[in-house]
Amino acid sequence: MSATTNAVIFTGDDPSDAMTLLDILDHVLNQGVVLRGNLIISLAGVDLVYLGLDVILTSVETALRHVNASALLPGK
Amino acid sequence: MADQLISDGRVLYLYGITQSKPRDVPKLIGVDRFAPIEAVECEGIFCWISRVSALDFEKNLAANMENLDWLAETSVAHQRVISAISRLTEILPTRFATVFRSEASLCKHIAKRARGLKQDFERVKGADEWGVKVFTIQPAPLAMPTARSGKDYLKAKAARLPSRKPKSIQRDEIIKFEQALADVAIETAPAGNVSRGQRGLSFQTSLLVKRTQRKKLESVLENFAAEWKRERRIECTGPWPPYSFVSRPDDTVRSK
Repeated sequence: MSATTNAVIFTGDDPSDAMTLLDILDHVLNQGVVLRGNLIISLAGVDLVYLGLDVILTSVETALRHVNASALLPGK
Repeated sequence: MADQLISDGRVLYLYGITQSKPRDVPKLIGVDRFAPIEAVECEGIFCWISRVSALDFEKNLAANMENLDWLAETSVAHQRVISAISRLTEILPTRFATVFRSEASLCKHIAKRARGLKQDFERVKGADEWGVKVFTIQPAPLAMPTARSGKDYLKAKAARLPSRKPKSIQRDEIIKFEQALADVAIETAPAGNVSRGQRGLSFQTSLLVKRTQRKKLESVLENFAAEWKRERRIECTGPWPPYSFVSRPDDTVRSK
């Protein structure tokens, strides 16, 4: 469960926690080992997508915030 | 194995690499929600892959990345796989949408990077990534009373605004917070390529924290939260696999 202790909101320790999509994308798309594979386009493509993503996602996230986000459970 | 396109249009989607293969790996499904996860061994390093459609992950990848539904489902699936493996053993997560055409090509790249990867394993050993965000608390929107004059209206509006500390003091408080977090962490990394547009967000960072230091991190967060009660809200997510701490400066993609 997400726990609020003394005003800090902790999320993610329990597998039943619903991380928000925004949090997942923040970490998943942040970096990771870059192995140059055969497909350089995959990496260049990711970089290009970053450009407009923050704007779109922020509005999407606001809409999703109160929806049951069970589909977004990490690590299940 | 010949370095050729895997038959039936499949390519290898790489999730991450580990130094050991845990005995009881639960059955995991890959980013296409269909193919199972497999471990391919290359020079004593285990590469966690699934075989995905070359059409979706090679030819149409750029277009798919712009499809928010596809991106959401795929990145959540990517996170699930890595997170499940990270519960069993130390994993270096690969960057989202890293695809190889064959096992031979994958192993060739792993071999080339073996030394650097070993150092990365040492660095993230026994540690998790945590995400910390600080939001400025917005005053609750209240209905304005009916004012008889413009002056009344402005007075009433001013009374509802929270008193603001000067910007320089606010900045100093954030710097103090940042320093306290850095003292607990092994490393910090800039965070939030995606969420930087969130409303009220005034600071965010990713931290690499030893599991033994977790309580310390929690108490730093709680102390600041108590101090900031009405001004700011702190959100902490984790533990994450060390996504933000495994890339190296020479990883910069040069080709276009």
